This record gives sequence, C-alpha cells and structure tokens, in this order.
Amino acid sequence: MIALERVSKTFAVGPVKVPALTDVSFRVAKGEFVVLHGRSGAGKTTLLKLLYRAETPSEGDVEVLGQPLGRLRPRAVAALRRNIGVVFQDAKLLPGRNVYDNIAFVLRVLGAPRGEITERVFDALRAVGLHSRARAYPAQLSQGEAQRATLARAIVRRPSLLIADEPTGNLDDEMGAEIIQVIRDVNAGGTTVIFATHQARLAAFLKSRVLVLDGGRLVKDEG
Amino acid sequence: MIGFLVGEAFRDLRRAGRVAVSAIVLIMLSLGAVGGFLLLADNLGAAVSSWRERLRVIVYLKAEPSTASAAALVKRVEAMPDVAAVRYVGRAEALAALKQVLGKEAGAADHLSVNPLPASLEVTPSTHGATPDGARRLVERLSTLPEAEDVAGGVEWVDKLARIQRLVTLVGLGFGAVLAIAAILTVTTATTLVLHARRHETEIMRLVGAPEVTIRLPLLLQGMVQGLLGAALALGGLALAHHFLAPKLAPLMAVAVGLAQVSFLPVAHIAAIALAGTVLGALGGLMARGRRNA
Repeated sequence: MIALERVSKTFAVGPVKVPALTDVSFRVAKGEFVVLHGRSGAGKTTLLKLLYRAETPSEGDVEVLGQPLGRLRPRAVAALRRNIGVVFQDAKLLPGRNVYDNIAFVLRVLGAPRGEITERVFDALRAVGLHSRARAYPAQLSQGEAQRATLARAIVRRPSLLIADEPTGNLDDEMGAEIIQVIRDVNAGGTTVIFATHQARLAAFLKSRVLVLDGGRLVKDEG
Repeated sequence: MIGFLVGEAFRDLRRAGRVAVSAIVLIMLSLGAVGGFLLLADNLGAAVSSWRERLRVIVYLKAEPSTASAAALVKRVEAMPDVAAVRYVGRAEALAALKQVLGKEAGAADHLSVNPLPASLEVTPSTHGATPDGARRLVERLSTLPEAEDVAGGVEWVDKLARIQRLVTLVGLGFGAVLAIAAILTVTTATTLVLHARRHETEIMRLVGAPEVTIRLPLLLQGMVQGLLGAALALGGLALAHHFLAPKLAPLMAVAVGLAQVSFLPVAHIAAIALAGTVLGALGGLMARGRRNA
C-alpha cells in the first residue's frame, strides 16, 4: 500500500538547506491504521505531503497505492489523489457553500453522475453523524461539526487511503473522540488510515501501530 | 459536468463584481468603436461598389454612323481590353434621354430646330478597367478611335472614396485595438481576483485530484462570458444607434455618396464582433495566473 525507502526531504531557505526528513523508511499494509506521532516540526506534515504528492522527496523513493511517485505526470498525480482522502487540522470548508454542497463539490469536480451525488453525500454525512446539518453553512457549525464535515468530504469518494493531519488538534476531548471513532469506522471498512498527531496521550490511546518522528528521523516503529 | 463548469463560471463572474463589470464595459466600448467604424466603412464600401458598377466611359462620335457601321464599331470596342460592355446611343435616343431627365421642362427641347446631341458609345469598363489606372488607359485607347470626337470618364473620385473607406476601417481597427488591449488587461485583472477568491476551491480541487481542465475551464468560461456580454452590448448599442440615426443620416449619405439608405452591419460582421468579444474575454481569462502549487 505505502512504501518509503530511505526518503529525505530538504527545503532551501535562501542559501541555507533545512532538512525536514532524513533517511525515513517504512511500509504500511492495506487496511492498516497507523499513527504518525511527533512534536510540532518533527516532519509529520512533510511526510504526509509526500504521500499525496504535494511534495517530492529530495532523496529516496515513495510508493503509494502500489505506484512509485518519483516522476508522476500531473495527470497521474490527479488520478492518484482521487484514491486518497485528506483531513487537516483546520476544516478548510468553503464558507459560501452549505455542508451538503461542500461535500457534493468534490464529487461534482470529479464528474460524478448527478443522480449518484445526493445518495453518496448523505451516506458520508450519516457516517459522520451530520446528516441533520446538511443545509447548515460552515459559520453555523461547531468546530467538531466542521471537522466531521471535512471528514465526510474526505470519505465521500470512498478512498483507499485516508490521511488525517492532526484532525483533532482543535477539538476538545469529547469532540476529538467522536472524530476518532468515525475514522476508526472508516478503517473498519477497509480504508488504510495514516493519522498524524503531536499528542503522545492520543497516540497511546489509539492502540495502533505508531511511527514516531523526531527531528525529521523515524526513531520508533511500534506495532 | 458541463452544467457544473458553467455554474462555476457564473459564480466566478459574480465574485469578480465591479471589475468584471468594468471589463464588460471596456469590451463593449472597444467593440462598439470597431463596430461603429465598420458600419461606416461598410456603407462607404457599398457606395464605392455601387459607383464602380454604375461607372461608364462615354465616347462621343464625330458623326452618327449607319446601323451597320454602329454595330461594327460596337464590336470593335467590345474587343478592346478592359471593356465589359458597349452600348450604342443614337442621337434620337440621346435626345429622348435628355427629355426624360428634364421631366416637366422637357418641352424646351421641342423648340430646338435641330438635335444638337451627338451619337455616342456607352462603355462599361471591366473590374480592372474601373480602377484609376485602368480607366485612364481605356480612355487613351478609346481616344484613338477615328470615329471619336471626345471621350469622357474617370474614376479618380471613386478611388478617393475607396481610400476614405479603407482609412475609416483602419482608424476603427486601430482605435478598437487600443481599447481591446485595455479590455484584455481588465478581464485579466477580474480573473486574477477570481483566482484569489476561489483559491480554497482550487486547493480542494487539486487535493481531490480534479483534472486541470476542470480547474481552469471555469476561468476561461467566465472570461468568455464577459467578452460575449460586452460584444452583445456593443451590438445592441450599435443597433439602437442605427435604428434612430440611420433615417436622419440617410439624406446626407444620399447627397454625399449616393447611398439610398444606411444599412446595418452584415451578419458576417455581427458574428465577427461577437467572436472577437469572446476571444478577447478568453484571452483575459487565459492570461490570469494563479497559484499552481499543491
């Protein structure tokens, strides 16, 4: 499903080269739930960006969904992303569209048949427990509801891989637990999940395989 | 999918707000200027064509030939280069034509003791012969006819009219081109604003793997819509101006260039203006640059 082989990523800040990831290697099998843990600045987000090809490695090889990402053409990148759902810490909902339209938007841009869109959007909303708020606008949602809407948008395409970057970072424990349960349910349906968090307590609570990043290096892989 | 893309284009247009309105107005002004000059040039062109078709070189004859000689003379002249047609006009026919022209005053001609009008040949030049140089050569050739007393006819003034027509077209195109550049830049600004306003949508579209064409097409479409609206307004304005002004200008045009009526733009020019508007808008949409990362 996912394979990183001796991956390094360096960012150039003027003449200075700043290493974000150094010599990272690991594999993730299909259907796994993997927690990516590390303090802020440890390289979690950079690593996740490599997985959905928003960044390319400076060295090493990245393979996602059985596809080497080294020299993908833009069209192939788009095709890869159609199988990946991404959830961020900030909900990134479109403020001018209601919850239903925010989720339907991704199906529309991908050319899903009109008759299929409503059914799939409400399936996704039911999965995150937000079907009664379909007509609400982002400004009318609580942070937890907004994050659930974002999650619904990520899973509405039924992706093979779900990448969650600090999805509970802005939420209190109760709301965070709700989000985690939804992600657990998605994983139970066969979707591989990479869940990034800086919270050690949460990483332990999730009781899954934990990859620990520190200073851009993979320092622990606990199953 | 097409419905979605068109919907997004109109949503983008609303987002651009006043800048989009400015772009539409500028396109309207530039195409209105081009269209106005084209309208004038088309009518001058019609006058030039009409005058060229009506152009005749008259060969006045020393004496009225016999019917057989007149027929032979007509054949000889018809065989000359740059001649499209020749008609023999006898003295009696010339007098009858004069009476027709005199109308109510035709009685005056009856008091003439003899018919003073000479017989003549009415020569219609070919297209080539209707140019200033062609007509001059034709007049020179006709003057060498032993039967010719005098040859009258020239096309310099028609050519002057044609030059004015070309000048009007060029001025219109030049004026329109300057405004068109301003229009393109305004559409570009409007589209750049749209790009900024829809950056979150674009980010999400790229994140979920939307094809690049789905991301760029609404921008192109909203530019095209601005252009088409500008062109439609320009054509509407021209049509209104033509409707109200043409009847007032018709007498002036009749006296100045002999045109019975001022016509509106032909369908081909209407289509060209609509197309030009769409292309201007599309160019503005294409020239806008957005963030292409992520």
